[in-house]
Amino acid sequence: MGDTAMEEKRMGQKRKKNLDGGVPVLDVRSLEAVYQMDDGVIRAVNDVSFTIAEGETMGLVGETGAGKTTTAFSILRLLPERTGRIPRGEILYKGENLLEKSADEMRMIRGSCISMIFQDPMTALNPILTVGDQILESLEIHNVENRAEKELKSRVDELMSLVGISPARKGEYPHQFSGGMKQRIVIAIALACEPLLLIADEPTTALDVTIQAQVLVLMEELKARLGTSMIMISHDLGVVAKTCDSVAIMYAGEIVEYGTAGDIFEGKVHHPYTIGLFQAIPRLDEDTLRLRPISGLMPDPSNLPPGCRFHPRCPDCMDECRDGKPYRYDRGGHKILCNLFRKEEGV
Amino acid sequence: MPLLRTVNLKKYFRIGKSRFLHAVDGVNVEVGAGSTLGVVGESGCGKSTLGRLVMGLLPATSGEIFYDGVDILRCTRAELAQRRRKMQIIFQDPYSSLNPRMSVFELISEPLVMNKACANKKEQLTRVMELMETVGLAERFINSYPHEMDGGRRQRIGVARAIALRPEFIVCDEPVSALDVSIQAQILNLLMDMQDEMKLTYMFITHDLSVVKHISDEIMVMYLGQCVERARSKELFRNPLHPYTQALLSAIPQPVLGKLRHDKLLRGEVTDPIDPEPGCRFAKRCNVMKPECAERDVALQDMGSGHCVACVLYGG
Repeated sequence: MGDTAMEEKRMGQKRKKNLDGGVPVLDVRSLEAVYQMDDGVIRAVNDVSFTIAEGETMGLVGETGAGKTTTAFSILRLLPERTGRIPRGEILYKGENLLEKSADEMRMIRGSCISMIFQDPMTALNPILTVGDQILESLEIHNVENRAEKELKSRVDELMSLVGISPARKGEYPHQFSGGMKQRIVIAIALACEPLLLIADEPTTALDVTIQAQVLVLMEELKARLGTSMIMISHDLGVVAKTCDSVAIMYAGEIVEYGTAGDIFEGKVHHPYTIGLFQAIPRLDEDTLRLRPISGLMPDPSNLPPGCRFHPRCPDCMDECRDGKPYRYDRGGHKILCNLFRKEEGV
Repeated sequence: MPLLRTVNLKKYFRIGKSRFLHAVDGVNVEVGAGSTLGVVGESGCGKSTLGRLVMGLLPATSGEIFYDGVDILRCTRAELAQRRRKMQIIFQDPYSSLNPRMSVFELISEPLVMNKACANKKEQLTRVMELMETVGLAERFINSYPHEMDGGRRQRIGVARAIALRPEFIVCDEPVSALDVSIQAQILNLLMDMQDEMKLTYMFITHDLSVVKHISDEIMVMYLGQCVERARSKELFRNPLHPYTQALLSAIPQPVLGKLRHDKLLRGEVTDPIDPEPGCRFAKRCNVMKPECAERDVALQDMGSGHCVACVLYGG
């Protein structure tokens, strides 16, 4: 198939996707995920809701243990079988609840409809398979149209050049590539079946900054070309600012603030945790004599504080924060989970 | 006189029979007492090897390291042991640099015991408590083990171990890279407070330019074993001269809305440090490469007020 023909096919797919309009690609409603441990239940994700429209990139920001990866694993139903459970919530992919799918159905959805890029390209690839075979594997599993082997192999070449690696290297093994190249291969595998939704879990954290910039630009280009929606999981507010349309800030398993990138990076009102996060980063463009860290530590997820989860570390903590659910502020889609706004709104 | 000075320091690792990996290739460092030298570069640029060489944890291939005017590569074992008490290192990964079978008390007292710094058990306990307070570890953790603690607290143990013998000079090898931003800020503040109180001298190794800007007086940018630019911290960020420094600065995404800039994107990846060809090591990725870049080695050139750069653009 020639380049123009491929392009037309893609455009056709894109148009088909657009026709669905109205239904978001992903709609997560009141999701809860827990890990059942010997000595108690770890509440990793609590009442998380968000939607992702077609072509939208949502940033999922938070520190270690905030529940970002667990959220991603819940969407793909990849939680550890024995310990992980989703007691409540719905995950609607184009209106269909993924939690009701059988294991076989999920296997077909993973990779072809929703795929994932993992944090560490050094461990995500199989060291004893050539990179070409690993890209081919994904194409073979999802080969519902029964395309010929030869056609699939030419798609491997196409994918490799798409991510900027010479197809001549498809017979090489992962250890022969550098970290940035390996991550490009992982991206090629993830995009092999042109999924509608891509979940990228800290895709550039293990890479050097100059390589990170290359990979981020590549992901932007491919996303625009294929019209893929994306969840960008990151702890780096800089990466999120450059890539995302909307942002969800997670703390102790909850989304404490959600809004457009404009709301989060340029908005006037914020959750105290968001403010703390921004203040704690050393900035290149500003001179600061002393950093202002958030006092205290992340709470233990098996023993979450009552009331607002952030209250023990919050500089604006009030009596009402210690007990009961915090107030849900919502102004034009900019949502903040904080009692400070109850007063302001005179409720 | 600088507290630490290296002259043409080299460390080559032998690969196979006769090939050499040039990890550190002729680096000259000067760190003044009470100041902080930031060493930045990407993975594989030799920054950690430099830190280990300076600490004497790796034997140098050639060159000299002067600490307080004495060449520590050529002094006796006894002299070296004396010096080493004054020089300490904080490692990157608080998860793997602490012995999991030792409690906090044992971990922090280890350097005290090894160097017979305390006369008796009571004095030792007092000193451990004192150190725990300095680094902000609550007393109740004294009998805890590393696995019971989070990354931030573990790194505080690493800091306590490093300052136990009241050193003058500390090599900080990516001390905050494994930590979350809110905790990272706590540790950075702690390191800066300790510097003020104890007049410590730091060599701060990191890949994160925003961290290094925050903490350093002077910054050295490394690329493939060589120093490509060295300047006062403010000067380097205001006026980066080397094309690599410029690219490095523009590649960092700032938490401000906008798109990544495509025009300054670096091509390719770090080249092979094994038996590198003569000439500028950065030439293959450089946007403004000239024919002479590949022809000869480029020396550091002082552009005035201590801002040194190794690039043919500036006549190096």
